Amino acid sequence: MKKLLLASTILALSAGYTMAAEIKVGIILGFTGPIESMTPDMGASAEMAFKEASDSGLLLGGSTITAIRGDSTCIDAAAATAVAEKQITSDNVVAIMGADCSGVTGAIANNVAVPNGVVMVSPSATSPGLSSLKDKGLFFRTAPSDARQGEVMADILKSRGIKEVAVTYTNNDYGKGLADSFAKSFAAAGGKVSISAAHEDGKADYSAEVGALSASGSKYLAVFGYADQGGKGIIQASLDSGAFEHFVLGDGMISDTLIAAIGKDLNGTIGTLPGGTGKTADMFKDMLAKAGLKKGGAFTGESYDAGALIVLAMQAAGSSDRAAIQSKMMMVANAPGEKIYPGELAKALKILKGGGDIDYVGATNVEFNKIGEVYGSYKELEVKNGKFETIKVH
Amino acid sequence: MDIFTDILNALVLVSNFIIVPSIAYGAQLALGALGVTLIYAILRFANFAHGDFMAFGTMVTVLITWWLQSMGIGLGPLPTALLALPPAIAITIVAALIMDRSVYRFYRKKRSPPAIFVIASIGVMFVTNGIVRFIIGPNDQRFADGERFIIKARAFKQMTGLNEGLSIKVSQGLTVGIAIILVMVLFWFLNRTRTGKAMRAYSDNEDLALLSGIDPEKVVMVTWIITAALTTIAGTLYGLDKSFKPFTYFQLLLPFFAAAIVGGIGKPVGAIIGGFVIAFSEISITYAYKKFLTYLTPESWAPEGLVQLLSTDYKFAVSFIILVVVLLVRPTGIVKGKVI
Amino acid sequence: MNPTLRAVMLFSLMAGLFLIVGFGQSWSVALTIFNLCLISAVMALGVNIQWGYAGLFNVGTMGFVALGGVAAVLVSKAPITDAWVAGGGDLAIAAVLTILTIAAVVLTYRRTEKGPIRNLAITAIIVLGYFPIRLFYDPAVLAIEAVRPAYEGYLGGLGLPILFSWVVGGFFAAGAAWVVGKIALGLRSDYLAIATLGISEIIIAIIKNEDWLTRGVKNVSGLPRPVPYEVDLQQTDWFIDAVANLNDGVLAALTGTERTGVLNQLVIESSSIFVKLSYSGLFIVVLIIIFTLSTRALNSPWGRMMRAIRDNEISANAMGKNITGRHLQVFVIGSAIVGIAGAMLTTLDGQLTPGTYNPLRFTFLVWVMVIVGGSGNNMGAVLGGFFIWFFWIEAEPIGVWFIDFSTSWMAGDNPVRLHLMNSAQHMRLLIMGVVLLLVMRFNPGGLLPEVTKRFGAQK
Repeated sequence: MKKLLLASTILALSAGYTMAAEIKVGIILGFTGPIESMTPDMGASAEMAFKEASDSGLLLGGSTITAIRGDSTCIDAAAATAVAEKQITSDNVVAIMGADCSGVTGAIANNVAVPNGVVMVSPSATSPGLSSLKDKGLFFRTAPSDARQGEVMADILKSRGIKEVAVTYTNNDYGKGLADSFAKSFAAAGGKVSISAAHEDGKADYSAEVGALSASGSKYLAVFGYADQGGKGIIQASLDSGAFEHFVLGDGMISDTLIAAIGKDLNGTIGTLPGGTGKTADMFKDMLAKAGLKKGGAFTGESYDAGALIVLAMQAAGSSDRAAIQSKMMMVANAPGEKIYPGELAKALKILKGGGDIDYVGATNVEFNKIGEVYGSYKELEVKNGKFETIKVH
Repeated sequence: MDIFTDILNALVLVSNFIIVPSIAYGAQLALGALGVTLIYAILRFANFAHGDFMAFGTMVTVLITWWLQSMGIGLGPLPTALLALPPAIAITIVAALIMDRSVYRFYRKKRSPPAIFVIASIGVMFVTNGIVRFIIGPNDQRFADGERFIIKARAFKQMTGLNEGLSIKVSQGLTVGIAIILVMVLFWFLNRTRTGKAMRAYSDNEDLALLSGIDPEKVVMVTWIITAALTTIAGTLYGLDKSFKPFTYFQLLLPFFAAAIVGGIGKPVGAIIGGFVIAFSEISITYAYKKFLTYLTPESWAPEGLVQLLSTDYKFAVSFIILVVVLLVRPTGIVKGKVI
Repeated sequence: MNPTLRAVMLFSLMAGLFLIVGFGQSWSVALTIFNLCLISAVMALGVNIQWGYAGLFNVGTMGFVALGGVAAVLVSKAPITDAWVAGGGDLAIAAVLTILTIAAVVLTYRRTEKGPIRNLAITAIIVLGYFPIRLFYDPAVLAIEAVRPAYEGYLGGLGLPILFSWVVGGFFAAGAAWVVGKIALGLRSDYLAIATLGISEIIIAIIKNEDWLTRGVKNVSGLPRPVPYEVDLQQTDWFIDAVANLNDGVLAALTGTERTGVLNQLVIESSSIFVKLSYSGLFIVVLIIIFTLSTRALNSPWGRMMRAIRDNEISANAMGKNITGRHLQVFVIGSAIVGIAGAMLTTLDGQLTPGTYNPLRFTFLVWVMVIVGGSGNNMGAVLGGFFIWFFWIEAEPIGVWFIDFSTSWMAGDNPVRLHLMNSAQHMRLLIMGVVLLLVMRFNPGGLLPEVTKRFGAQK
């Protein structure tokens, strides 16, 4: 009985490459947790890519993609692993778009994805530690490593003449990774980090942390936390006690909910966010507007690109087999090939069907290095009149 | 004159970052610890569900506040939540009585050992936790309105011309003010009214109290009513000052216990003293005194490092370290509470 | 009914539930839950020994589980020589100073009379000792954490096979339990609960913040495994042949690329199941060893003495039994078992994530297991571990299904329905709490109550 069940599911899967089928792809993001205000739009962007491919009718003989959402919780490695386990072994997803937070991404990769040979493309896991993951070529990310964000932020501060900052970071590997990378780059650029203190998410009172931070005497506070968690609390406490009035934000803090919560005291704040401006970014913004999503939501471009890459790799391999997808990821993302911009998935699918080569550029200028990471560009943001405005792209 | 300004600056610095937050936090802890200590004194067990119970009371206040706000009713510079308090307290009292009737009364009749009560309270904690998250969700909720500051740091700096600013929030002022009123009312009740005296007698010596004809069920009922009121007010003040998030109330459970035990469990005065001791220690032990010392000492002596006794990472641990030390050295607490 | 019959029935019910999950969802999922159930059963056994044998109310299980996890890292990861070179010397000096300070405190405690002089002396020693220790400790820590912080930044471990860490984890937990017990065991039960809860929080705080030892919140991943990797299995010939043989019926009908494709899928699925079964095997062995030892201890003179102390402490004391010493014994043994479970858990996870240790899941849930399963009964604790963990995991899909079903008559975007669907996961907490309260009220002995032998007529 069990063998029959096993066999029939496998036959159904493997037969997918010959006829139109429903292909399942997992979307594992922290729909509850520290960045839950960002993840719904991220999931929707990936689903936008999937829908675009399905609607075109050109994917693998008219197959459609069904997205299966799972909650990574962002902080609970065991729960995230369990969700991935279920998706890979019970729902039989062929690839995973996720996860969002670095800690759980590493857990899922190490415990489930790599052992089962499933490709993972993360849109927002930025910890530098993930670069050394033993992933057998299965882990990709469309968001750049924080090793780069630290450098960019140090450059931005230097160019604005800010020589000393106090740093606070959320007490996990994302926060610590970014804080360490920033400290190194800033020191190399001649700046000084007067204090680097962690804060725990989920607490109500940060006055002690703010007290310690302000004792450093610096005028600027760099907050490498989450907009829906401790990071917001720290900024609020700093403003309330008059400890700091000028802030520098990491990518986890770039969210409209933060401005809504803090208000106009946030004007003049600097921040960094992976992403770019220019033709591709504008094209993607239009797509978002048409789909009714917020423009400029963090990591939406990266999510769309992650979803698109999975679909295109499938088409290039001519099969939705897990190993086949992995084999073609680099090819579809990198030059040479016909450049593909956001919204041009149908065009790309057609080229690939005919055996051609593409170079997926997408909303965030995707180009993988040899370990499947993007070099990435960062936007320098500043809060003006209650909105995040892009000043420059680094 | 320079030395004088420096000293003033140092004083303001310490007030802004240590004294004012400690007084506010201490008042919040004191109110919570009062509830814990009352339950311990009269019902004779440590109520692990206290934190989530506080979340429940605050949740009801938040919901009523939102409703009032949506109807445009406000209280001017004061938070609307104050208006929502009386009905919220009433609802919480009812919930507390239902909880007591359905869970704890059984074990009281059976005269079960305290550990059984505590396990039952763990069950109640789970249930309350689930109910609160179910109704309002696990996220941060804002319900504060009205004026935010009594005095802002910037305004203070402009007024006095000092380098350091002092900021006092309305919620901090409210907390301290309401806490003082509540404590006075509570002490008047316990010392002057018949029911209060009955409660104290029941707490000191249960058998004698019963022999004197005191109705135990009435004492228990009044205890839950007072605790429900205290808890709702404490939770609301805390939520106004920080923000409402169910998980943080669960985390406050341990500082409450620490405050009650350090002060002397079973004695209301102890809870108050304990609350302030814990608050002041947590904040002053983890404060970085670099700037403070820089103001007070001559240039050449100014410290390089942060001069922090314990990093803020361990702030949470400070209350337990104090608790453990007290349990070792003077288990009955500062104001000799119940013997263990 | 006859306790043995009851036990058999309940365990069969449990097995049935696993079969349902296996068929309904997948065998991998069923096995994952099974493995975690085994680990939970060991934890529940540890807590049961403390509560059931001696009536000790230990609410600090979380700390001991974490210590077991740290042991897994410290035993199995290779040592990082650069870090040792950079900070090892200063760290050693700081360690020596700490030992000296503690020795001084203990000596003073023993030699002087109780009173303010003693307290003052001890405080003075601690203060005088603290600053020199920090003087050596701080630079050592900074140096160690500066060695490739993104990938390492800690001392590493001993590089031994990870199975040793299960024993070492037990020892770590035992050591910590000894210290905790010395401090807290004289206290009344609810004081002990609060003290142990607080101490477990301190342990977790230390693990989270002392990066030089455990990498703190940066997590240590890629722990070596005691069982083969799935991808390795997928390449080995004997395994592929075995899979082919087992699935002869299905494969015989296919040829060529289709056959290889199906065989590949089968191999991938089977490798995952094989790995999980290997873990199950290891865990079952550990569970059986611990269970047998505990039951033999329970039925021995030592066990009878422990229960006598629990049931009537005053008489036992009058008989001359060293109550505190015995309690300490049980506390240490029970915590050691919890530590072993912690090491097993971290081995299964393949990584140490200090951030996942939260009291709700690791302490209070284990207590629900013990109470519901049957406090004082080892079989009951094991059963409780299985049942409660199973329902904890399955409560979310069941809750979602239930809410979906009961609100299906509402429109798809009805806000009430949406809210209920989103809150389904919080049903878990509610269900657990209600189960605990119901069991405590109506069936306080639990599913498999403690078996007490009575002399004379049996009812």
